[in-house]
Amino acid sequence: MASSKKEKMTRKILFYIGLAFVLLVSLFPFFIMLMVSLKNSAEAIAQVPTLLPRQWTIEHYLDIFNPVLFPYITYFNNSLIVSLIVAAISVLFSIFGAYALSKLKFFGRTTINSSFYVVYMFSGLLLVVPLFKIISSLGLYNTRTALVITLIVQTLPAAIYMLKSYFDTIPDDLEEAAMIDGLNRVQIIFYIIIPLSISGIISVFVYSFMIAWNDFLFASIFLSSSENFTLPIGLNALFSTPDYVWGRMMAASIVTALPVVIMYGITERFIKGGATEGGVKG
Amino acid sequence: MKRKAKRKTDTKLAAVLLFPSIFLILLLVAYPMLSNIQISFFEQSINPNLDPTFIGFENYKQILTDEVFLKSLGITFLYTLLTVVGSTVVGLAVAIFFNRPFKFRKISRSLIIASYVAPSISLVFAWKYMFNNNYGIVNYLTVDVLHLFDQAPLWFDRPASSFVLVVIFAIWRYFPYAFISFLAILQTIDNTLYEAAEIDGASAWEKFKVVTLPAIMPVLVIVVTLRAIWMFYMFEDVYLLTNQVNTLGIYLYETAFAFNDLGKAASISVILFIILFAVILLMRKRVNADGNG
Repeated sequence: MASSKKEKMTRKILFYIGLAFVLLVSLFPFFIMLMVSLKNSAEAIAQVPTLLPRQWTIEHYLDIFNPVLFPYITYFNNSLIVSLIVAAISVLFSIFGAYALSKLKFFGRTTINSSFYVVYMFSGLLLVVPLFKIISSLGLYNTRTALVITLIVQTLPAAIYMLKSYFDTIPDDLEEAAMIDGLNRVQIIFYIIIPLSISGIISVFVYSFMIAWNDFLFASIFLSSSENFTLPIGLNALFSTPDYVWGRMMAASIVTALPVVIMYGITERFIKGGATEGGVKG
Repeated sequence: MKRKAKRKTDTKLAAVLLFPSIFLILLLVAYPMLSNIQISFFEQSINPNLDPTFIGFENYKQILTDEVFLKSLGITFLYTLLTVVGSTVVGLAVAIFFNRPFKFRKISRSLIIASYVAPSISLVFAWKYMFNNNYGIVNYLTVDVLHLFDQAPLWFDRPASSFVLVVIFAIWRYFPYAFISFLAILQTIDNTLYEAAEIDGASAWEKFKVVTLPAIMPVLVIVVTLRAIWMFYMFEDVYLLTNQVNTLGIYLYETAFAFNDLGKAASISVILFIILFAVILLMRKRVNADGNG
């Protein structure tokens, strides 16, 4: 009896050692980021690296929010505006589209559905040349509008796919009952479908926000002046200059990663069936 | 009669509801795709004031005989193979490891996903710092502490070491995707199946082969297919980490926006599209033939 208890204990300990190892591997770069952001500049480039700062400082965080030193706030605002608009439009269009694909019967439904799935697998990279031409000819080069429009196409197919599988779980009886009560289809969407699938809608919002927030490719193609830069290209541009400061870069990296990591952490449990039902692309 | 009338309104409403999505996708995916084919037959610079010249298959000829392209194709296939296998195997292993009740399970899950959802640029800065030749912790550990190398490899400045680096980075970054996908399906497997296998005296590997693998097969196929496609045209992770690994994504991007040759870049897109399409079709056939599709 005692030995089996002991065995159980050993197993448990081994499991937690394994768990600690997995977490260490996953989080180590984040830990380094955080620690360097709290070290002073000399310590960050010491020949013998230390894990913890000898002298803790928050100067780098103050620096990135100082517009004289670094246009971080401008980039942050641009990223926020673009991502919020992309997420909002993506949610709106995908509610309508997913409702049609899930609840309405019409000719071509299956084809449209599978076309969205194919587009979901597509990468923007294959379309950069014609998109560049379209955006230029529309006179939208170097505007945030260009970024918003092209990013919606990146997020929309997956958003529709995610929401469709969500709407599929809502029983049709509910709708029929609502119709008998005199609601029309559009009212049903707003009074029945949306309230019932609010967690799915939040997931779609977070997913779209994240794709837009993380985008580097389209931003690097469509934006050319610093006042329009989003965070990924803004930070990358700064990295290419000779006077970068590691602490500042790391502080900026942390603050840039934080919104999506937090949002995703909170909503992750809503995302049913994991990544296979319209997982995050990337 | 009434039924028919209802269907008609359904179609109308569906058209209205789907219009914005379909319009955007036609305009910004379907049209560009076709436009790529057209542009690929022209010599076209990035300056819109210069007229394009029709040159037939010249762009294709140049690319398909370009050693840089062929080498880049090889690098891309190797990169895709290693990162897909690596991230899937690690993701599956961690998912199996996590498929039991324990304290901090939820929070651990969320923490593991962090590398997958954070923007590349943030992660790349951390990795560039960790692998820095002078003060990076990786070189400190491998050279000064563990003596694995006599001299620090110049991680970002040599093609071979850069390739190793981008592969490790990708496996680290994308295994959580496989992990969450597999964890969800593992939880649906009935535990009595394992117990039955155990009574039959099955080893851990046999249990995996007989119970786990068939159950996760549909998800495995999706994870591998999607990941393979996305890794095949990976751009930003590699581009931001190093300039030493010339994958097709980078080759395409630089042809378009560094060398300003839009016609050539368009023909690369077309070739990539054809390769991918062929791979998808082949995979599908293979999967169906094995009876797992």
